[in-house]
Amino acid sequence: MKSPNKFTVLLSVFALAGALLTGCNSNNKANSSSSASPSAPASEASSSASASPSASPSADANQPVDGGNLVISSFSDVVNLNPIYIQDTASQETANFILSYLYDLDRHGSVVADPWSLAAELPTISSDGLTYTVKLRPEAKWSDGQPVTADDLIFTIQTAINKDAGSPLISTLDKIEKMTKVDDHTVDIKLKSVYAPFLYSLHLQLAPSHVLKDVPVKDLVKNPYGADIAKTVTNGPWKWTEWQKGQYLTFEADPNYWGSVKPHIQKLTYKIYADQNTEIQAILKGEADLTSAVPLPLLDTVKANKNLNVILAPGPQYEYLGFNFKDDNFPDKWSPFKGQKTRQAIAYALNRQGMVDNILKGTGALMNAPFLPGSWADPGDEAVNYSYDPEKAKALLAEDGWKAGKDGILEKDGHKFSFELQYNAGNSRREQVAAVIQQNLKDVGIEVTPKAIDFSAWVEQNLTPGKYPAILMGWSLSTPDPDAESIFSSKYFPPAGQNQGWYKNEKLDDLWVKGYSTVDQSERAAIYKEVGKEISTDLPYVFLYQYGLPEAVSTKVQYAEDDKPEPTIAYGYFYHIINWWVK
Amino acid sequence: MTEYLIRRTLQSVLVLVLISLFTFMLIHAAPGGPRQIFLSPGLSPEVAKIQAHNMGLDRPLPLQYLSWVGDLLRGDLGYTFKNNIPVGEIIWPTVKNTMVLMGAAWLLSLVIAIPWGIYNSTAEYGLSDHTASFLSYIGFAMPTFWFGIILQEIFALKLDWLPLSDMYTIGKKGDIGNLIYHLVLPVTVLSLGFLAGYMKYARASMLEVLDQDYIRTARAKGLKERRVVFRHALRNALIPIITVIGLDLPILVSGAALTESVFNWPGMGRLFVQMAVAREYSVLMAIALITAVFVIVGNFVADIMYAIVDPRVKLSRRGGAAA
Repeated sequence: MKSPNKFTVLLSVFALAGALLTGCNSNNKANSSSSASPSAPASEASSSASASPSASPSADANQPVDGGNLVISSFSDVVNLNPIYIQDTASQETANFILSYLYDLDRHGSVVADPWSLAAELPTISSDGLTYTVKLRPEAKWSDGQPVTADDLIFTIQTAINKDAGSPLISTLDKIEKMTKVDDHTVDIKLKSVYAPFLYSLHLQLAPSHVLKDVPVKDLVKNPYGADIAKTVTNGPWKWTEWQKGQYLTFEADPNYWGSVKPHIQKLTYKIYADQNTEIQAILKGEADLTSAVPLPLLDTVKANKNLNVILAPGPQYEYLGFNFKDDNFPDKWSPFKGQKTRQAIAYALNRQGMVDNILKGTGALMNAPFLPGSWADPGDEAVNYSYDPEKAKALLAEDGWKAGKDGILEKDGHKFSFELQYNAGNSRREQVAAVIQQNLKDVGIEVTPKAIDFSAWVEQNLTPGKYPAILMGWSLSTPDPDAESIFSSKYFPPAGQNQGWYKNEKLDDLWVKGYSTVDQSERAAIYKEVGKEISTDLPYVFLYQYGLPEAVSTKVQYAEDDKPEPTIAYGYFYHIINWWVK
Repeated sequence: MTEYLIRRTLQSVLVLVLISLFTFMLIHAAPGGPRQIFLSPGLSPEVAKIQAHNMGLDRPLPLQYLSWVGDLLRGDLGYTFKNNIPVGEIIWPTVKNTMVLMGAAWLLSLVIAIPWGIYNSTAEYGLSDHTASFLSYIGFAMPTFWFGIILQEIFALKLDWLPLSDMYTIGKKGDIGNLIYHLVLPVTVLSLGFLAGYMKYARASMLEVLDQDYIRTARAKGLKERRVVFRHALRNALIPIITVIGLDLPILVSGAALTESVFNWPGMGRLFVQMAVAREYSVLMAIALITAVFVIVGNFVADIMYAIVDPRVKLSRRGGAAA
């Protein structure tokens, strides 16, 4: 996801992988058991990474060498490398080699100006919090020799927020009121209102104004820029040299790259495999050097390979059991989830640690609030942790008025506690978790019917309109900013908004607004602690766990400790790849 | 013969139209669409609408179909929805790659299967016949992709003798030696499947013919067994074999989606799977059409071969009483 649109669901990866797996189930047994978005890592993430002796392959004595070839595996082809239109993972991964960001993210998810960022220093924010002044590096150049200027930044943003362009970036940039070109390398960006997460919207790649400015906005999506190598000028450390569609792309170090820090690896090959199983076989054989997603069923095989380092840590995404509060979505026109005690009872009834240990193979981590664990906004112990306690669950249910019916299933006011739990077909992790939820809730007298639905049909017919009784779903935290108003606030009901469960909590509604209305980080942290406490008490969702994808890298890939892959941030599996080298 | 050709051609065009229409409807009936890669609950309905419009997906279906047919008549297979790449640019290279793979497997299996099947018909229940039967069972029973994975496991991963997948090592495109090296495993997998069928057909067909009265007559005339088998029996026995081979011709183009996927062979079968996942209707339609053309051509070739091999067919067609 280019747009650090944090709320973008686990998206294309899922859609693709899910569909791919369903498509390939018949063809490949090994594959059918791998999950759509293989979850992985890590309660003791950091320790498991360092405990594995091979995890940090480089020693200080090892000096970087230039040259070599790194083959990165993928199971989907690139769609388009025009940064205004990038929406899929493969395109974003490869665009990161050829297009520098205005600002980059550091290991902890903070916005920084790295030597390879287009901006020289962090933006200065006016005292009223409304105006961001961005200064570009004067030496930054496009591959055709033209300088990267204020015009490129203004053009990119203006195009992205033009509805006719149909850009996915629009939601991250539409808080902008106007932009002013101060000089060739300086732009003032003024917001309509104070909106702290905007800083993350500047983690952005630029499109070349001098190439595209005369293209009518409606035609831009069909412009060969981003699809035709010859017409795609770039400004990153590597240049795009080949695209064998459906097979591979290559990128070679650009000898004219403007940055003071040059890439060491001469050639990056982005190789496309038919499916995850074929991909992992190639990794095992050494035909490819890096995969960002090892399916969990194959994890042990990959770990056993001496030529591979496996990096396990929780990733920037979490899964939850989502309730629907709208009565219309239930067969008897009555949502059973409206009692707070009822929701808390469900949280107590679920063996979340068991899911982490058994399904995520102990490599996931419990999560109690919708914030990136370990980030500055993580509420930590302020959020309520529901341990597995069926007795307490039963007690809470009884307090809330539920009584066992003749068949043992709870009843209240003539309504049976029985609901359908939806998830996307082909995702084996969710399939397993849904079964655990079914069993756990049965133990306390609640009847759950898990139902798998094709991903795209599910999004169209259930998620977007907010029509379902309960879901097992995930959110990506690809932007580390804690603001999540658009999925929890009652301002954002479907179909336009993402509060698909029709959850309303006035206290939270206010807190979310407070949270982004100041740019002071310590003030914000205090607000999100309060959010964490309230949301984990009131439970619009039962937050289940955070999970990641195991990355496997050939031992020939070397990096200093500061440049090692960072699984906790989006695209962190290529973290500081400009400083990596190969043996 | 001319009349027959004309009729067949007209029939073929009708079949193509029907196939394209049905494929179009089926593809559009599947949930999701080309936008599914972009689908996420976070996408505002407004932007989603604009994207659909950009991809031409908001037009009524019959209109989309007609515009597709119109382009096709002008020799234009259309463009991908997502990145506006000409469909031909994506498909034609894969057709070539598939033909290399399937052609090699097909020829190899023919060269082995037909003579072996014939020999086995003359030495029924001998060692060779039993071996062949055994191989056929394996060939029929074993899913090719599974067999492929086993071979990869042994020869590519454990022994490291052969490459795991792909058509060429990157950077060695066009190198024949490198190609053959990459062909060994997938061709082995595919030919075993073909072989099983062809060998059984050849054998059964010969056995049936060898039982005929005219063969007994030939033998009674005192002809040498060799002459009986090759001259009298073989020519008649070839007819059903040729039918089967002709009907298999389209596979040379459509490829084997599963085997191609396992070996990451950049062919049309693998492309079809990828494009089905991506819901690239224009590519799917083009593949369906190309495959349909080859099915029709294959049947046609089979018919003509029939006529060449079987004098009776030739006579009756010349008389205008086509079957």
